[in-house]
Amino acid sequence: MSVLSNKQKFQLIKKMSDRVPHTALLGIQVVSIDGEELTLKLPYQKALVGDPTAGTLHGGALTVLLDQTLGMSTVCSDRIKPPVTPTLDLRIDHLGVAPPGMDIFACARVYKATRKILFVDGFAYCESRDKPIARASGSWVRVADVDLSWFLDSGQAGAQQ
Amino acid sequence: MTLGDILQQAPSAETLQLWLRKVPYAAFLGIRAELRDGEILFILPEDKKLVGNSSLPALHGGVVGAFMEQAAAFHLIAKMEKPVLPKIINFSLDYLRPARLRDTYAQCKLTRQGRLIANVTINAWQENSNQPNAIARAHFLLPESD
Repeated sequence: MSVLSNKQKFQLIKKMSDRVPHTALLGIQVVSIDGEELTLKLPYQKALVGDPTAGTLHGGALTVLLDQTLGMSTVCSDRIKPPVTPTLDLRIDHLGVAPPGMDIFACARVYKATRKILFVDGFAYCESRDKPIARASGSWVRVADVDLSWFLDSGQAGAQQ
Repeated sequence: MTLGDILQQAPSAETLQLWLRKVPYAAFLGIRAELRDGEILFILPEDKKLVGNSSLPALHGGVVGAFMEQAAAFHLIAKMEKPVLPKIINFSLDYLRPARLRDTYAQCKLTRQGRLIANVTINAWQENSNQPNAIARAHFLLPESD
């Protein structure tokens, strides 16, 4: 199984994200890739508030961030080729409330990959990853492998390791 | 008028619109609501900014989830004797088919409302309510009202 470097995964995710207008609109960006773990950030913005009195973020905005992070983390798994993966299901536990005005981070990794299904875990936090505000788990279907030729041939990624 | 003030009014087509406009993220997504046969129908109008997959094109799955969660919360508020903003505990979402770039609808069922917890199920569809694009279940914590 080919393994992409952290830098290659970063570039691949950036390219794939360019095709996701909604997350670009929200300003969701890649923070880091550490082996199989992907971290994305959702910058705070007033349009994403759910409780106008408290100024806290809407749970639904967190759903978008976690769906995106868990889904994209499938590209970071070193056990499989980067897959094309529609979401089958997603469950989110809201452990706490993000303080108003703070950016949200989400981390995810593939917990288990079978031939057709990827089981993914993740969580979201504000101040510190030791204080999660939500955790998520979901499953994604491997319908195909990502065609890496357009990506690797672009010269940005270099040869596979 | 604050959201809290508006919530105290009996749900009608007008107050539902006022509620939705007062929640910034619901307004950002463009969520609307109508009363149909005494039940609330939530509508997420077709909008290119909600696309998650531009080659299909399909709505972002997370947006469909956010729409369903907002629908569940307002459906619950509309059924409360003393309406307050409930707190989401968890949300479980099954994607059945991709949501295309067109209007999406949601209707909810308050499966159980206890003293502390409410369970709401949500059905979201585009063409036909018998062919849902996604189904979901939400648990809410009801703040002590006294």
